[in-house]
Amino acid sequence: MFAAAAIAVLITMALALLRALRGPTVYDRILALNMFGTKTVLLIAVAGFLTGRPEWLDLALLYALIGFVLRNTKYRGLGADEGGTP
Amino acid sequence: MIPLISAALFAFLLAVAVAVARTRDLFAAAMLTGIFSLLSAGLFTLLDAVDVAFTEAAVGAGISTLLILGTLSLTGSPEAPPRRSWAPLGVVALAGGALLYATLDMPAFGDPGAPAHLHVAPEYLADTPEDIGIPNVVTAVLASYRGYDTLGELVVILAAGVGVLLLVGSGDGGGGGERALGSESHVRMREKLVLRVVARRLVPFVLLFALYVQFHGDYGPGGGFQAGVVFAAGLILYGMIFGVDEVRRVVGPRAVEVGIAAGVLLFIGVGVASLLGGANFLDYSALDPHDPAHGRHLGILGIELGVGVTVASVMTAIYYGFAGRSRRA
Repeated sequence: MFAAAAIAVLITMALALLRALRGPTVYDRILALNMFGTKTVLLIAVAGFLTGRPEWLDLALLYALIGFVLRNTKYRGLGADEGGTP
Repeated sequence: MIPLISAALFAFLLAVAVAVARTRDLFAAAMLTGIFSLLSAGLFTLLDAVDVAFTEAAVGAGISTLLILGTLSLTGSPEAPPRRSWAPLGVVALAGGALLYATLDMPAFGDPGAPAHLHVAPEYLADTPEDIGIPNVVTAVLASYRGYDTLGELVVILAAGVGVLLLVGSGDGGGGGERALGSESHVRMREKLVLRVVARRLVPFVLLFALYVQFHGDYGPGGGFQAGVVFAAGLILYGMIFGVDEVRRVVGPRAVEVGIAAGVLLFIGVGVASLLGGANFLDYSALDPHDPAHGRHLGILGIELGVGVTVASVMTAIYYGFAGRSRRA
């Protein structure tokens, strides 16, 4: 059950990574990084239950918070770029 | 299952590393280094190095990306076209080859006979419950058994912070124009109603979480380093949405500069207090003459607080420096 979830999350991570690498616009990359961040949170949560270490949820919580801060920074980065470079 | 996940993460890591080296768009490179940090943090978690993963997520994916983007807003995003030359490639190949050669001498992964598992680690693992009485051995090693090393790390952070502030300035010079990194985004962010509302609700919880990480580091993953970074990230988030001047009113630049030194002083002060109690420097058992374990626990809380204050102050001061710099530009 958890293993299937982990594999699904990994596949989603691969797709997000592909988008971050290919671009082509800044928005694609930002969305890809956002998605990658949430998938990391999920992967750690799933792996925590998979290995019987549910306290990893603490870690997942931190990642979620950091992800929110990053997201705002990226809007800032975009603002400085005035729409961003292609 | 775990080896499969690790292998997949390593494959991603390799792909991201190659992409970071190849891309000419620095903004994309900043995004990709963020992904790189998240991947490393995931791998550290799978290796059960939860405290390291915590630090990697907070420092690597959080503050570093924040500071890289702050630098980019001062310099611009496209990288200068590279000059083709073979000498750097040769140097890199040589250094890489030497590192690979060095790995041959390292013990195999998970080898129970590795020096790391035989030297002092068994002692620390066996003695921590009795000596200090806290479950997180990482905190015990970092803050008590290896207190000198941690003091050294903190002084390095202090020196690095002072160096960066000397380079970018502390951010209070220059007339307060409307073009400040903070207030400029303030205008733009004002339209982003969702962000403003969510951030206003979320920032107190980010700060609360930082305090939890700070004072719960002896029972769960975390400690002063991670807490300081999370706390600073909360302040920076607030500054980026409501303007840097709003944060400066809450935490003045002067207070931040004092905090940088105060944290190190608190750390050293705990050490001196144990000296005055008749024990060695940073031997906290003297802090409570009746119960050495309790004294050590107190000492750990004290120095972790010092670490947290200095780290949070350095990060916030650097943010102020960047904000003041773009105001003058």
